Order: sequence, then C-alpha cells, then structure tokens
Amino acid sequence: MEKNKITCKEVMNHICDNLGEDLDSPKCVAIKEHLENCESCQKYFHSVESTIQFYKIYNAELPEESHNKLMDYLGLSDE
Amino acid sequence: MSEPELIEKAKEGNRQALAQLVKNYEQTIYNFAFKVCRNKDRAEHTMQETFLSMVKSISQFSGKSKLSTWLYTIVSNHCLMQARSNKNKFFDSLDDDELYIDESEIAEWKVTPDQVAENNELKEILDNAIQKLPQDYKIVFLLRDVEGLSTEETANVVDVSVPAVKSRLHRARAFLRSELNKVLKNGKE
Repeated sequence: MEKNKITCKEVMNHICDNLGEDLDSPKCVAIKEHLENCESCQKYFHSVESTIQFYKIYNAELPEESHNKLMDYLGLSDE
Repeated sequence: MSEPELIEKAKEGNRQALAQLVKNYEQTIYNFAFKVCRNKDRAEHTMQETFLSMVKSISQFSGKSKLSTWLYTIVSNHCLMQARSNKNKFFDSLDDDELYIDESEIAEWKVTPDQVAENNELKEILDNAIQKLPQDYKIVFLLRDVEGLSTEETANVVDVSVPAVKSRLHRARAFLRSELNKVLKNGKE
C-alpha cells in the first residue's frame, strides 16, 4: 500500500462515507488521485459498489396470491 | 389519471382511485418490505398494514412529500416497531466502524451482482449478512442505496438528522461489505 499523504484507510472510509455523492472538494480530488494509483483501494471501491448492487438486484416479485389477499384485506377486491 | 388526481379522488372516498393507488405501489412496497424483513410472510403482512394505514389516513396526506416517501415512512415505522418488540439477536448498534474496514482483507470478488437472480446460495449469503444489521441501519441503507432516495428524503423517512443518516449509511456499507467479503473473497460461486 502506498504511503501518500492520504492513507488507504482514509480512502476506504471516504468511499463508505461518500459513494454516490458529488466528489469535487480538494480532498475528494486527492482521494480520486490516490484511487487511480492504488490497487487495494480500487478493489475496496468495487467491492462496496458490488455490495450495493447485490442488494439492488435481489428483488422479490409480488405473488398474485398476495395481491389478491391484499385487495381482500382492504375491501377493495371489486375495484 | 395522474397521481395527484388519484390522491384527490381517494381523499373524497373514491374506492376505484384508492384501489389504483394500491396497485401502483404494491410491488414497490412488497419488495421494500421483503428487503427489510427477508421473509415473504412478514413482507406480505407489512404490505397489508402499510396500505391499511394509507387507506385510513389518506385524507391527512398533505402532498408535501411524494406518496412513495409517505409509504416508505409507514413501512419503516412498522418494521422499527416490530424490531423493538423482537430485539435484534446480534446487536443494537454498530459502535466501532473501524472494525469493519480492514486493509489486510482486500480481495477481488469472483461473483458479480448479475448472478444474484439464479444463485440461491448467494441469496442466502446476502440474507444472512443484512439480517445481522440493526434494523435502523438496515432501513437507512435500503432507502438510500437500494431504493435511491436522497440523503434528505431518507432523513425525513426515518426521522433523524442528515448527519445521522450519513453515519448509519457509512457503517452499514462498511459492515455489509465486510460480511460479504468473508465469503466472496474466496471466490464462492
């Protein structure tokens, strides 16, 4: 791991803090530069991104039976 | 008919409009409830209670927030109440997020997110990891990262400050990544 002014730990913390936010502050620019040159931090970044993607993609389809039970429960079956 | 028109008609007691609103959001709410509960029966029950609350109190809906945000709030409150009566068996808060970022445990994962749909073992891994999160962290992670609400909207839904949302999100991301890493770093497929 590189011994820059910014440590890998700081970068990893920053990824968890700011993923999906606008990254334009001077600190963010330094972090981006570190990321471009550090394989460990790149892997960490991708694994955090994948973590989110896993849970985004894992969806549950509403069963027809649950829909019917819901409309019955609400007294809206006839609508 | 547009959503604001449907809401107005539903407030006047129009059952057809109410039914249409339910149909428009039932998949979203069921899916979100499932993601919080990780259990189909509980997701179904939560969805029923959420729409019952909507039907009962649609007249109080001010329209200041989106209807979807209002429904997320009802689901979240319902799940948080359930969690309080059924104490989390792992822990109530993630106090030390430093524990979840370990620089020596960085590895490339062999499994990609597009494999989730057909991989039941992977689904189990994902269920087990997120079930270990305290409910309030889980809900923040799901609203912000999975459902795509803004940080401010998430703060409104769970009724905490924006910094509190950010802090929970940070810890939830680091914790889940660390849990998945334990299994996926070895190339589990």
